[in-house]
Formats: sequence, C-alpha cells, structure tokens
Amino acid sequence: MQRFKTILRVTAFLVIGSFFHYVLPQHDVVKVTSTEIIRTDFSSLNRIFYAQADSGASEQPTRDLRLINTQKQKTFLLGFLPRDTSGVMVYRNEDTGWIWPPYFKFDSSDLQAEAANLARGDEWAVVTHYGWRIRWASIYPNAVGVRTISGPEVTIIPWFNIFFFVFLMVALVFIRAMWRQFRERSVDPLLDAAGHEFDEVQASVAARKGRLSRWIDTWRSKK
Amino acid sequence: MGFIKLVVFGFIGLSIIYLSVSVYSRSVRKERLEDRFDTENPDGGTPGARETFITEGMVAYNSSIRPKLIGLVYVVPTVVIGAIIYTINAN
Repeated sequence: MQRFKTILRVTAFLVIGSFFHYVLPQHDVVKVTSTEIIRTDFSSLNRIFYAQADSGASEQPTRDLRLINTQKQKTFLLGFLPRDTSGVMVYRNEDTGWIWPPYFKFDSSDLQAEAANLARGDEWAVVTHYGWRIRWASIYPNAVGVRTISGPEVTIIPWFNIFFFVFLMVALVFIRAMWRQFRERSVDPLLDAAGHEFDEVQASVAARKGRLSRWIDTWRSKK
Repeated sequence: MGFIKLVVFGFIGLSIIYLSVSVYSRSVRKERLEDRFDTENPDGGTPGARETFITEGMVAYNSSIRPKLIGLVYVVPTVVIGAIIYTINAN
C-alpha cells in the first residue's frame, strides 16, 4: 500500500513537472543562423504540440510553418549551469493566439523579421521559448521573443517563473484554508446533525425491538 | 473567435473564484465575531444578545471596503493579460 502511494505520488509529480516544463518560458543563449518556412502536414501524434493557424487566419489541415535555425549554447540543469559546448537548435515561430498556452503571441511575423535581421550578423541573442524539441516526432519549441546580448556569458533570472511559483504556492495555501473553513463551518455541522439523527433512529429501533421481544417473551414459558 | 471564448470562459472561471472567495471571507468574519462574543461573555450573555451582535457585525462588514476588494478578482487577471499582451507583442 505504501509502495503504491509512493508510485502514485512520483507519477503525479512527474506529470505536473513535465507539464510546467513544457508550458513555462525558458531562455536559451543562441546565435541565429537562418530562418526558413516549411510546409507542414500535421499528424495526430504531433498535432497537439503545435499551435493553431495565425491569429485571424483560418485553420487548414496543412500550412506553412516559420522556423528559426540557431546555434545554441548547451546547458545543464534546465539552463542553470552553462557549458562551453554548443549545438544546433530549431525553433518554430507560431502565434499562440488567445487561448493556450496563454502567451497571447500575435507577432510571429515580426519575430521572424527580427530573427532574419539577427541572422545577417554574428550577434549573440537570448531566445525566450516554451516547448520541447522531440526529433522523432518533428516537434519544435515555440519561440516567443528574442533580444540581443553582448556576449554568451549572461546571467538570466527567470522572473516570470519565480513569480509564477510563488503565486502558485500562495494560491494552494489559500485554497487549503478555504476548504478547511468550508468543512468546519458547513460540512461538519451537517455531519454532526446527521450522526445525531442516526443515533436517535438507532435508539428508537432498539426500543421498539425491546418492546417486541418483551411481548414475545410473554408467550414463552416462564422459567 | 478565440477572444470571445477567452472572455466567456474567463468570466465564468473568475465568477466561480469570486463567489467562493466572498463566501469564505464572510464565513471567516462571522466566526471571528462569534469567538469575540464568546470570549467577552463567557456566561453566554443575555438571550438574543449573541445574534444581534453578530448581525450588527455582519452589517458593518457588508458596508466596509473589504467585500468590494474581492472585485479585484476580476480586475487583476485582466490587467495581467493586458500586460502580457503588451510585453510579448511590443517591438
């Protein structure tokens, strides 16, 4: 039982953790090498890893996809430990629109222009993105912003993620307090009343049974 | 279309939060009033005094600024979304 609970907890932690890892913004130090547009036919496997058509355009089964090709500085530990090596990284550049994930990005054309501008020179840049690169399913992280920096040794503080997790903790504590108050003031009195009623019914049943058995006893032979 | 969906479902979600927060806030206030009366009158006070004390306290709570502040549940997410739209899309 204990082992089952542990497995359940670890699974829940992994699922929630990877959900946040996918959706929350991350920063990569890159050199943009080129931009391109490819025609994409989505499959049911990788469709959910893409956003919808450009905000204001209509949804078709196949469409063009903007990509940003980069040379990326590799890191350890979700980007907290920089490394000296670098490798290629390809980002897609799609509008997230109004719904999900809530980045409200409508400017993918502008971002593509910025990336194309960076590709002309040899400047370092920070790409803000969410999502994963999964090569066997042709899934790309979605770039949401790019800014130039002076060099690759830059400290990036993930302010948004810090505020997000603080807010999440506060919200969870608040919901717990609300739930406790609700139980204490609304559910427990009801349960008490129900328990009291149950006791009374039980007592009256016992009394009636007592009367019946006494009556039956009158028919039995006296010892 | 997406915008309308966001507004409709956002409004429903925020209304659920608004209602539960206001119920919670009233409940906490009422419990505090009860506790205060009970510590001030350990013998139970005159009959009916507890009810009038709590009713008056709740009337004062309803006219105070606190329940109006819960309306921020609607304002803050709207402002946050506006800020995100600006920072993501501004050049």
